[in-house]
Amino acid sequence: MVTTTPDISPAADPAPAKQPASKRAYPGALVVVEGIDGSGKSTQLYLLKRWLEIGGYRTHFTEWNSSPLVKSATRRGKQRRLLTPTTFSLLHSADFADRCERQIMPLLHGGYLVLADRYIYTAFARDGARGCSPHWLRNLYSFAPAPDITFYFRAPLDVAVNRILAGRPKLKYYEAGMDLGISLDRSESFRIFQERILNNYDQMVETDHFVLMDGTVRVNKLQKLMRQIVGEKISLQQFAPKKK
Amino acid sequence: MKRSQKKPLATVPPNGRPARTNSKSAGVLGAPPSRFYGTTLPGVKPEELSGTLIVIEGTDGSGRSTQIYLLTEWLESQGFAVQTMGLRRSYLVGEDIDALLAENAVTPMTLALMYSTDFFDQLERRILPALRSGLVVLADRYIFTLIARAAVRGIARDYLHGIYEIALRPDLTFWLNVRPEVAFDREFKKSQTISYWESGRDMSLSNDLFQSFIRYQSMIKREFEYLSKRHGFLELDGESSVSNVNRVLRKRIASHLGIRSTQYKPSHALSHLWR
Repeated sequence: MVTTTPDISPAADPAPAKQPASKRAYPGALVVVEGIDGSGKSTQLYLLKRWLEIGGYRTHFTEWNSSPLVKSATRRGKQRRLLTPTTFSLLHSADFADRCERQIMPLLHGGYLVLADRYIYTAFARDGARGCSPHWLRNLYSFAPAPDITFYFRAPLDVAVNRILAGRPKLKYYEAGMDLGISLDRSESFRIFQERILNNYDQMVETDHFVLMDGTVRVNKLQKLMRQIVGEKISLQQFAPKKK
Repeated sequence: MKRSQKKPLATVPPNGRPARTNSKSAGVLGAPPSRFYGTTLPGVKPEELSGTLIVIEGTDGSGRSTQIYLLTEWLESQGFAVQTMGLRRSYLVGEDIDALLAENAVTPMTLALMYSTDFFDQLERRILPALRSGLVVLADRYIFTLIARAAVRGIARDYLHGIYEIALRPDLTFWLNVRPEVAFDREFKKSQTISYWESGRDMSLSNDLFQSFIRYQSMIKREFEYLSKRHGFLELDGESSVSNVNRVLRKRIASHLGIRSTQYKPSHALSHLWR
């Protein structure tokens, strides 16, 4: 009754790391900001969003880790410190898949200019710093549409870290990368963790066509540049308010 | 720090439990007991996993759970400590998946990734420690059901294999194969109805519940036929009697564990399962 079959290796052909889903088949556009905490990316995306909103453009803002889907699981995992690099990564990917399938994709098909505060590159940089394999991570997120523009806000490590440390009474366990066991001191652990993430981001600049933004430039000057680049790379006319 | 996932691994004393490499049983198959498909899970040393991972796959109504009850009793009677795993049993997201299924509002990709979270939470926090301690792990379904279910819903097989390439390769994978019609009869007898998900109602295959169940389970079965070839399942006739299937399972497992006696008769507590 038992048929003995030789144990064949299933993953004998490790395929090259996958790039995000290719050319878009939708009228919308996707603009993404990435960078470590304290790099100024959220401020800049907020200002871009205000500019578009005030102009009456069809736009929608979305951010990483905001869906109620995995909130209870994330809370449970973080409170009791049960998350491993793998489950941490998978939980966020489930959350992202939910947002992608129910929010981002319908909006792109509906002709919206979608603004995303953090995208799959956050997972590549952060989960990679936790020890997940880059190849595995690329596959995990291969269902995500490729952004039209990815702004990478880069600030020197000390500048970014000091911005965060100055504003927060206490860093959270996972936020500080304490699960990696780098250092018992939270601030020190945070600094080293952020440094690893920063290095991972730097390595993606060319392969993932990041638009490098200097996070130390004055806010309004940087915003002017950001708006200019968006205007050059995306035909904003298609998102403009319809004339009656 | 004390809870760091990496520290305990690095500090396990080599004398904690001798690796099985020199024991008599290791020679049975001549290969190390456990390996990963592709990349190893972060922080895991395969050579420390001295236990045995046995997977029982098959649809609902294939007799999996019954066989796992019986095998657990038999293995314990033989002096083996047993740990079990199954779907939606993780502390981390088990209940969340139940809630998602109840809503019927979840998309296939999200559900697939929630299931993979559930799987790896159990694997990393329950199963790997058990295997490090030399236990026999009986898995009531494994990555194959998860891959099959997601694949019939349109998610690429390569994508799914990519996610699970960091999973542990089982020592033995049994597939209790039954025809969808037989599974239907058994399931209906058990619960007087057919569940929404087991009949693939989310896939709009048919408004008739029986038709929907048969078509869905046939699609799953085709995925299993493919997976069986790819992963070398030990296929068993799940329509055979409980005692007959159990005898074949015991024989194969005994040979893998290097034990001679395969005699077994269920205790009074489990005798109702024996037919």
